[in-house]
Amino acid sequence: MNCQDLLYRNCDPRQVTRRWFFEQCGVGLGRIALAGLFTGALSRSGSAAVINASGSLIPKKSPYGGRAKAVIHLFMAGAPSHLDLFDHKPKLAEFEGQPIPPSIIGGQRYAFIRSDAAVLGPRFRFVKRGDSGTEIAEILPHFGKIVDDVCLIRSMHTDQFNHAPAQIFLNTGAAQPGRPSLGSWVVYGLGAQTSDLPAFVVMSTGSGISGGAANWSSGMLPTVYTGVRFRNQGDPILDVSRPDGVSRQSQRETLDLVETLDRRRLNIVGDPEIATRIASYEMADRLEASAPELMNLRSESRSTLEMYGADPDKPSFARACLLARRMVERGVRFINIYHEGWDAHSDLNGNHRQNCAATDQGSAALVRDLKQRGLLDETLVIWGGEFGRTPMVESHPVLGRSLGRDHHPQAFTMWMAGGGVKPGITFGKTDDLGFHVVENGVHVHDLQATILHVLGFDHERLTFRHAGRDFRLTDVSGKVVRPILT
Amino acid sequence: MEVDAFRDRFQGCRLIGLRLGTVVAILASAGAISAAGGPNFSRDVRPILSQHCFKCHGPDDAAREAKLRLDVRESAIARTDSGKPPIVPGKPDSSELIRRIFSHDADEMMPPPAANKPLSDSERRILRDWVSAGAEYKSHWAFVPPQQVPPPKVSSGSAFSRNPIDDFVQAQLESSGLDLKPSPPADRYTLARRVCLDLVGLPPTPDEADAFVNDPAPDAYERLVDRLLASPHYGERWARRWLDLARYADTNGYEKDRTRSIWPYRDWVIAAINADMPFDQFTIKQLAGDMLPNASLEDRIATGFHRNTMLNEEGGIDPLEYRYYATIDRVGTTGTVWLGLTVRCAQCHTHKFDPIPHRDYYRMMAFLNNADEKQIDIPVPALVSRRQQIERQIAAAEIELPNRFSPGGREGRAKFDAEFDHWEQSESSRALRWTVLHPTRAKATLPHLAVLPDDSILASGDMSKSDRYEVQVDKLPTKITALRLDVLPDESLPEHGPGRVFYEGPFGDFELSEWTAECDGAPIHFKGATQSYAANAGGASAAIDGNPLTSWSINKGQGKSHSATFILDRPLHNAKSLSVQMLFEYYYACGLGKFRISATDGVVPTDRRVMPAEVDQILAQPREQRTPEQRATLMRYFASITPALDEPRKELSAERAQEPTLPTTLVFAERPADNSRQTFVHKRGEFLQPKETVQAGIPSLFGSLPAEFPCNRLGFARWLVDARNPLVGRVTVNRQWQAFFGRGLVRTGEDFGYQGSLPTHPQLLDWLAVEFVRRGWSLMAAHRLIVTSATYRQASRVTPDSVANDPENKLLSRAPRVRLEAELVRDSALAAAGLLSERIGGPSVFPPQPASVSEGSYGGMTWNVSQGPDRFRRGLYTFSKRTSPFAMFATFDGPSGEECIARREVSNTPLQALTLLNDAQFVEIARGLAADVLTKSDGRSEQIARTLFRRCLVRPPDPSEVAALVTFYAQARARFETDPTGAQKIVSGAERVKSAGAGKVDPVPLAAWTLVARGLLNLDEAITRE
Repeated sequence: MNCQDLLYRNCDPRQVTRRWFFEQCGVGLGRIALAGLFTGALSRSGSAAVINASGSLIPKKSPYGGRAKAVIHLFMAGAPSHLDLFDHKPKLAEFEGQPIPPSIIGGQRYAFIRSDAAVLGPRFRFVKRGDSGTEIAEILPHFGKIVDDVCLIRSMHTDQFNHAPAQIFLNTGAAQPGRPSLGSWVVYGLGAQTSDLPAFVVMSTGSGISGGAANWSSGMLPTVYTGVRFRNQGDPILDVSRPDGVSRQSQRETLDLVETLDRRRLNIVGDPEIATRIASYEMADRLEASAPELMNLRSESRSTLEMYGADPDKPSFARACLLARRMVERGVRFINIYHEGWDAHSDLNGNHRQNCAATDQGSAALVRDLKQRGLLDETLVIWGGEFGRTPMVESHPVLGRSLGRDHHPQAFTMWMAGGGVKPGITFGKTDDLGFHVVENGVHVHDLQATILHVLGFDHERLTFRHAGRDFRLTDVSGKVVRPILT
Repeated sequence: MEVDAFRDRFQGCRLIGLRLGTVVAILASAGAISAAGGPNFSRDVRPILSQHCFKCHGPDDAAREAKLRLDVRESAIARTDSGKPPIVPGKPDSSELIRRIFSHDADEMMPPPAANKPLSDSERRILRDWVSAGAEYKSHWAFVPPQQVPPPKVSSGSAFSRNPIDDFVQAQLESSGLDLKPSPPADRYTLARRVCLDLVGLPPTPDEADAFVNDPAPDAYERLVDRLLASPHYGERWARRWLDLARYADTNGYEKDRTRSIWPYRDWVIAAINADMPFDQFTIKQLAGDMLPNASLEDRIATGFHRNTMLNEEGGIDPLEYRYYATIDRVGTTGTVWLGLTVRCAQCHTHKFDPIPHRDYYRMMAFLNNADEKQIDIPVPALVSRRQQIERQIAAAEIELPNRFSPGGREGRAKFDAEFDHWEQSESSRALRWTVLHPTRAKATLPHLAVLPDDSILASGDMSKSDRYEVQVDKLPTKITALRLDVLPDESLPEHGPGRVFYEGPFGDFELSEWTAECDGAPIHFKGATQSYAANAGGASAAIDGNPLTSWSINKGQGKSHSATFILDRPLHNAKSLSVQMLFEYYYACGLGKFRISATDGVVPTDRRVMPAEVDQILAQPREQRTPEQRATLMRYFASITPALDEPRKELSAERAQEPTLPTTLVFAERPADNSRQTFVHKRGEFLQPKETVQAGIPSLFGSLPAEFPCNRLGFARWLVDARNPLVGRVTVNRQWQAFFGRGLVRTGEDFGYQGSLPTHPQLLDWLAVEFVRRGWSLMAAHRLIVTSATYRQASRVTPDSVANDPENKLLSRAPRVRLEAELVRDSALAAAGLLSERIGGPSVFPPQPASVSEGSYGGMTWNVSQGPDRFRRGLYTFSKRTSPFAMFATFDGPSGEECIARREVSNTPLQALTLLNDAQFVEIARGLAADVLTKSDGRSEQIARTLFRRCLVRPPDPSEVAALVTFYAQARARFETDPTGAQKIVSGAERVKSAGAGKVDPVPLAAWTLVARGLLNLDEAITRE
């Protein structure tokens, strides 16, 4: 597609006058366009912004004025066990060692276990926490302290029982790569609130992510809506720092040279895309300063650092949570933190202890911190994995596995806080074995519809026309879970 | 009024979430509504019906409301249940449809408010006018075969026009009524750079450009074009575009995303394009090359097109489920590439807009669903002969092995002979005679088992995570003491077998979980098992322990025969029938590929080593009857097992390890007639909901497959490129047009259906489509035709008039300026620096990228940066990892290979600026460029600046541009004078610079010129084809 098409598509051609063309586009557009944009869909937004306020990364009001303005999605990749953390099932202990009746299992296919595997009791002790008296595993002490601020959904279910497709499904509403992710839809719908940082950021603190880049892909949406990775090693954003040996002044002079020559070319060939390029370079220059400023945690108080348990100089989940709060403060719209590693096919006890130690404090601190700063109302925090884990034990002497659990799509738990979600409630119920949802089931598409709802969108109307069809996050289903909304 | 109609309608189309308001342009392209005869059905009416009505009153009978169908005239004018015809031709006031669309009653109005697809006033009026004029329906333009009309005569014609393309474009421009003239021709430097980038993907050198600019011959341009079309880089440039459609990548995708080898397919595409293989053949070979009579190796490699689908290797997946998704991808991709239709929309239900029933989707799938997916060796002659040479050396060394028996020489040989004699004697005394059992029947849960003439059994077809084989034998020796399972290699198997593991586990392995047998209906008990080789601790005993979690496997023994013997508790006497069952169960599919079962009546000690059947057979003969060859076989075998020769044998294995492995590639192989795969209609498109079976067939909107084509994949491929397919020519030339003009004549190149855009130049599109076929499906001829048109050769300058009148340049009054594709951004910089490796083809390479790119990749990602010229290969050779694409390409909108891409996005972002400014590889390129120019310069700054400029942008610089560069250079130089460490850092860098001169140059000026070169490579013009 021609760049120019993208630009003019957004313009009212009656306003694309000769005068505009020379005055705005030919001269000084770059700086004007800088107000309020990032990632530079300037071909569709910045240049057009001058004459038309509907540019793609321009901050937009959502049609229904949702409570949430930003989202932090803590993606517990690998799938934590609902049965050992959030959904207490004493019956599991009672029936430990016995197989589950086939009538319950039905035709479910498993990744590793046979469906006649025996029941495994909860691996951790559960305790009542908060004013709500919600039962939570004792290995989540920090979460226990914020339980009155969150909505615990014990009735999540999904269609997918393998990691990559299930992660992609939770992010994009489809199990195969190629559809836009939640973050991309949100930025597509709401635009960016900052010109200094990307609108959609992705961090990762665990092991490698099963779903890969498809998890934050913009799919058929324009590529500017793709999540931008913040890295743990080297530059937080790829190539955001100057090459070795290039001083700040040299960089400035280079940018000036590029701008001078680009501007000259713009005057000759008249292609507004060049103005966009000039603006992109200006923003790149600003990013060079704003990224380190964001990453520098020295301005954070000691008590804040302690609350998160974050070492300012060492990448960790806790540090990523703190960075996420800073990003929200600076106008980043959607933040994904992946913590992959919950895939406890063996030694669930050890695995979950380790992952809880890595994530519990940071997750809870994030909610507390947002709350104390008055940001929680406008920020939706989401915590959870791509599916649950089987009530049955996984053990396999040849693979060296014991006391683990396999993948379980029929039921799992997630929690959300802030952004117009009711605090201190538990929603939905599973059966006595935690196998099936028996009350208020929340399908992945329902969750997605609800997230879009709190951001002010009707999930059926936030669509994008591609290949003759209006695509949407929730595909052809999804229902907003109204009882959990304030 | 008509203007409003168009605006409203197009504003209804959401693009990038915004409303399209380019009224003037649309009017210009679509023409005005003719006053007589009412609205044009195809152009004005069907898009409204499609957008607002067909979802509930269209082709999908499952979703159809009130049994009312509006996409077919007969039903639209027929009486409905309510007794009122929706449309009474010529009588809008009696037409229920018209009444409903004008109704304000929420219960009656159409579309209903809940549909959220309200009609605008002008759309209502168009429908009313259309009904008034008789409500004529016309076939969808794209479903009618294209006809060539003679190029129109245009008033300004001869002055501008160079070929018929120009006549069509001019005619459209003139009839638009807009004050637009074609642009003047581009200057020759711009033209040279444009046509070089477009045809071969590389900029010309300044000398090449000068030669063209100064060539006074009237056909200078045409000769340049011919040279470019003859360049081997032409194939590389156009292969990349095809690979976008083919969703090429070097990894399997999904979680594990392991490496696959399919680059021979990429090489095939490059070669085919360079040879200007006619597009019909190009198509047939890629879709069904394996089915061509006397299919060549190349024909088979070509079928890699549909092997570029992803393969999920995540632990515990259902392989059949992901094979289904791959097939879904194949159907959708075929629809996009050859039909320009969103066939994929009919996976879950009948297409909501186009006349493609749900069932048609699966009929089309059936063509593509009957292939086995194989990996084949590419017998590269040099490698094959090297392998043969090593094999010969090893064979010779094996004969020599006995002579190396300690202490060597004559004495060693004598000792060996003595030991051998002893061994032969003792083994002969307990030799076993094996009788190969002739299987009466062999069947399996899912795989297909074929009994071969030598009584071995070969498995093929699908497999699951738990498959059971059953072999029935009805003719048995009188006494049986043990059964023997020989697992055999075969070329048809992954890694040549003997197993069939093809994902997740070690390829070519198997997992024999359980081995059970029954004799005349009663179970047989085994007291022990032995094997010639095992990868698992328990060996073959794991198959008779009653525990399906343990199994016998042979990893690291792929490509060879192995054996297991299963010793009976009690001998069988005079048994009539024997049934052997094998269970292969693991968390990945793990069946056996080729095997044979034998029986013996001898005494089998459980500690006896399992020998090759051949050796056993010789030993069972009386010694004196053994031929010298048989004796030699025994001796070779003994030499291969005696511990005394361990050391010399290690040398042989080391030598064998030197054997080069042959490259492999992924292909299709049509299944044998006795094992064709059934295709089902899947309810809601779900894998787990197969319903009735379907027979293969082309989409019914095109009628049925012509009788002269076989009803299989080959026939389907032939039909796709048959003149009776109205779409293939249009879709293909539209894609070529899009490549040169940034957008197709049909903007939605992936959708020529009801929801797609109408062509801006319908007659030109059809003329080109017919011409394409007439000229023998030659893509090269099509490219030549386009680039030699005056339309293509126009300047790309954007004027206020053209912006005001035709902002999207639909009328082509100028050439487009288009940002280079991701690969070309890097290729052209490398070419400018003189660093680019011109090697064509071969395996993928790993150019430098920041180490942190691999962060977050599942299981890590090894990115061992290529050294030497491979560091600087063209972008299409860069290793393409689906879950973690090469960062720079991703930043510049490169594809991930996860789906068929008919049109790349073009973005313009700060991340791109950061890459070009700061990425180490671009600093390295800038340094290479500066060093190369500097070492060849006379030292004058203006001259150096000029050369650098021309290397990056080709055209000669303007004096002000030179001045800007020289001033910048002086500044930079001054800085580095006071900061020599900075200069040193830039000059030395971490990476190698090709230019040998780099070391000889003073670091300060080199560093400063490097910054100049870097600045130039960052210019918009440097990454734009003007």
